[in-house]
Amino acid sequence: MNWATRASIHIDRAACAWLIRRYIDADAHFVFVSDPADLPADATAFDMRGVDLGHHEGDCTFETILRRNDLADPVLWRIAEIIHEADLDDERYDAPEAPGLDVILRGLSMTRTDDEILVLTGPVFDGLYEFYRRSLLLGREPA
Amino acid sequence: MNTDDAPSVWPLASADQPDGPVPGEWVLLSYRMPREPSTPRIAIWRKLKRLGVAQLGDGLVALPADARTREQLDWIAEEITEAAGTAGVWLARPATLRQERQLATELAAGRAAEYAAVLAEATAALALRGTARTAAVRKLRAQLRRVRRRDYFPPPERATATAAVADLTADEHPTDQEMA
Repeated sequence: MNWATRASIHIDRAACAWLIRRYIDADAHFVFVSDPADLPADATAFDMRGVDLGHHEGDCTFETILRRNDLADPVLWRIAEIIHEADLDDERYDAPEAPGLDVILRGLSMTRTDDEILVLTGPVFDGLYEFYRRSLLLGREPA
Repeated sequence: MNTDDAPSVWPLASADQPDGPVPGEWVLLSYRMPREPSTPRIAIWRKLKRLGVAQLGDGLVALPADARTREQLDWIAEEITEAAGTAGVWLARPATLRQERQLATELAAGRAAEYAAVLAEATAALALRGTARTAAVRKLRAQLRRVRRRDYFPPPERATATAAVADLTADEHPTDQEMA
């Protein structure tokens, strides 16, 4: 399936792409557009104004995608809190990891293309998932 | 948007900078929201305040344009639309450097007052010891981070406030170690 989002991706779009590929569409192909008018007709748009998979009622797009797909995995929701704070910084959640992740993605956006950022951040989100999965199971920080 | 100013400002600014820099790009959000319910209106107002916008008029705010500010105002526009309001996001240049400078000065003054508040609290916290001091430092660092995030034209108070918060931990190291 084709998925489209705004070019020059940052934390929310990078995390959404990871989420889509891992949990919704293993064969997802991503297109980055600069102008919403260039959206391919066959693509599902996300993290753009005026589309369903965007920000709604204070949620960032990552949270919206979790809700729309009934993904209730608490590990994903813990990651959602970090993405939300890195993206919106509105202190809805306590996510001290957010500012760190935010600058990493901002830096990458200066040195890499959108496709490269997806390749680089995929394993980062895999690692975050494993970290929070273990800490949830253990009830404390894993080693 | 003081269009009245234009005739007097124009010649002055061009005299200052005959071939100099031109005003930068700003992102503007124009919006209207229903008076009731007031909850979404207050939520939007808080978000704009948090972003440190310059209030140009009723329902018209501005920020220096960059990828982040454009995106943030885009999403706020979306939220306003969802709350039965109307909103538009615009890219604009002040017609004169002087007008841009006024805007920047106004924003810098807003941040300067916030840094001054941090400085005052940091000075008061010098009297605290142990856990009370640690808690104050944590709170002030978060406050500083919030202000820095919306500080587009750093005033001198930024360095003073940052140094004052750093000083709170400088003479506190032995206590930190005892507690660790």
